Amino acid sequence: MMMSVGTVWLAEAGGLFDLDATLPLMAIQFLVLVAVLNAVFYKPLLRVVDEREEYIRSNQAQAKELQAKAAQLTRQYDQELAVARREAQKTLNAAQEQAKQESQAQIRVAQQAAQAQIAQAQADLAAQQAQALAQLEPQVQSLGEAILAKLLV
Amino acid sequence: MDGLTSAASVLAAALAVGLGAIGPGLGQGRAAGQAVEGIARQPEAEGKIRGTLLLSLAFMEALTIYGLVVALVLLFANPFAG
Amino acid sequence: MVWMWHGLLGAPLASLEVGEHLYWELGNLKIHGQVFITSWIVMALLIGASLLGTRNAQRVPQGWQNFMEYVLDFVRTLTRNQLGEKEYRAWLPFVGTLFLFIFTCNWTGILVPWKLIELPAGELAASTNDINTTAALALLTSLAYFYAGFSRKGLLGYFKGYLYPSPIMLPFKIIEDFTKPLSLSFRLFGNILADELVVGVLVLLVPVLLPVPLMVLGLFLSGIQALIFATLASTYIAEALEDHEHEEEAEIA
Repeated sequence: MMMSVGTVWLAEAGGLFDLDATLPLMAIQFLVLVAVLNAVFYKPLLRVVDEREEYIRSNQAQAKELQAKAAQLTRQYDQELAVARREAQKTLNAAQEQAKQESQAQIRVAQQAAQAQIAQAQADLAAQQAQALAQLEPQVQSLGEAILAKLLV
Repeated sequence: MDGLTSAASVLAAALAVGLGAIGPGLGQGRAAGQAVEGIARQPEAEGKIRGTLLLSLAFMEALTIYGLVVALVLLFANPFAG
Repeated sequence: MVWMWHGLLGAPLASLEVGEHLYWELGNLKIHGQVFITSWIVMALLIGASLLGTRNAQRVPQGWQNFMEYVLDFVRTLTRNQLGEKEYRAWLPFVGTLFLFIFTCNWTGILVPWKLIELPAGELAASTNDINTTAALALLTSLAYFYAGFSRKGLLGYFKGYLYPSPIMLPFKIIEDFTKPLSLSFRLFGNILADELVVGVLVLLVPVLLPVPLMVLGLFLSGIQALIFATLASTYIAEALEDHEHEEEAEIA
């Protein structure tokens, strides 16, 4: 197909700006294309995209809800933990207190016992001393008389 | 077509394209320069500036194309060819 | 008229055609066959890709669905940026299809070696290189924004917006209604045709390697053109939907 520009120069009627029935037919054809593409392209794909957005949005809302629930559970757990810890501390303190009291009571008892023993020992000692003194009394008497006799002799 | 008409047509076609390219050429150069300046000042806006630049360049280009269309009419669909 | 490149190369790839059409007769109407052939292929591509992507649409996208969702996201962002969160849903099919159709037309026009397929007249190329296609799309855009304005504010309410912000603007606004489709159609048509011509001329001069970077540039530019067409269409629709009266109240308040 060898048509040179030179021949086109002489081409009759219309040529470059040949407006004819192509124009309205093309317009109609284009409108048909718009309708067809609307049916097979825009509508179905937009529906899919919208559905997806809806799905993502609902999923996101659900996820947010779950997240809030999880946060609440964490908070609750923390609270419970704090309460438990406080309770444990209280129990511990009470036990410590009790142990201290018990030990102090025991110490007191032991001290009393020791005191009693000491008193007993002191009493015994005093009795023995008295006894010894009482025994020595006549001896002292006789010894004094003997000394006196000796001196007087 | 007689000789005078074709001579005038060819000359007019050449002038239509040549003169028609001057204005848009200046305009495009100015627009591109400003765009580069804008990008230099605000590199983060490069994408937006580029898009707008291309669009406005095409609008200016259209003016040259109108001249070309006139030239084509004179060459290939001359109404005075008789 | 002697064209320098006329006799230089004889390869079929190195021919350049402008304004040649494969005419089909439809009753007593003439239509451009090559435009319809490529546009049907593009439409088949678009519909096929969509069917492939949505045939088994899953919540977790797989394979081709990923790509189609990326495409959807792209046109959705484009439309939403212009029309706002509230309005864009209704106009997404129109604006999105504008972008996809123009983009696919442009890219197939460059990437598919259409010229290897011989036609009795004319040649296959991107259907957006025909003024009929771009004018049809631009006029549909005009109708779309008129429809948007009318359905939102009523016939009178819409045209009252032409007096905003001052009645001096009225003639400009009316002229704008004509220049909008004109500039839309010519911008797209001119850009695509210019790309093809530049590549064509370069292929005529240097048929190896040199045209490749220009074709890559063409890919880039034609993608931008599709983006611009869709962006402008949605901007026009957004403009028509704009509520000036409430705006004024808001400004006063």
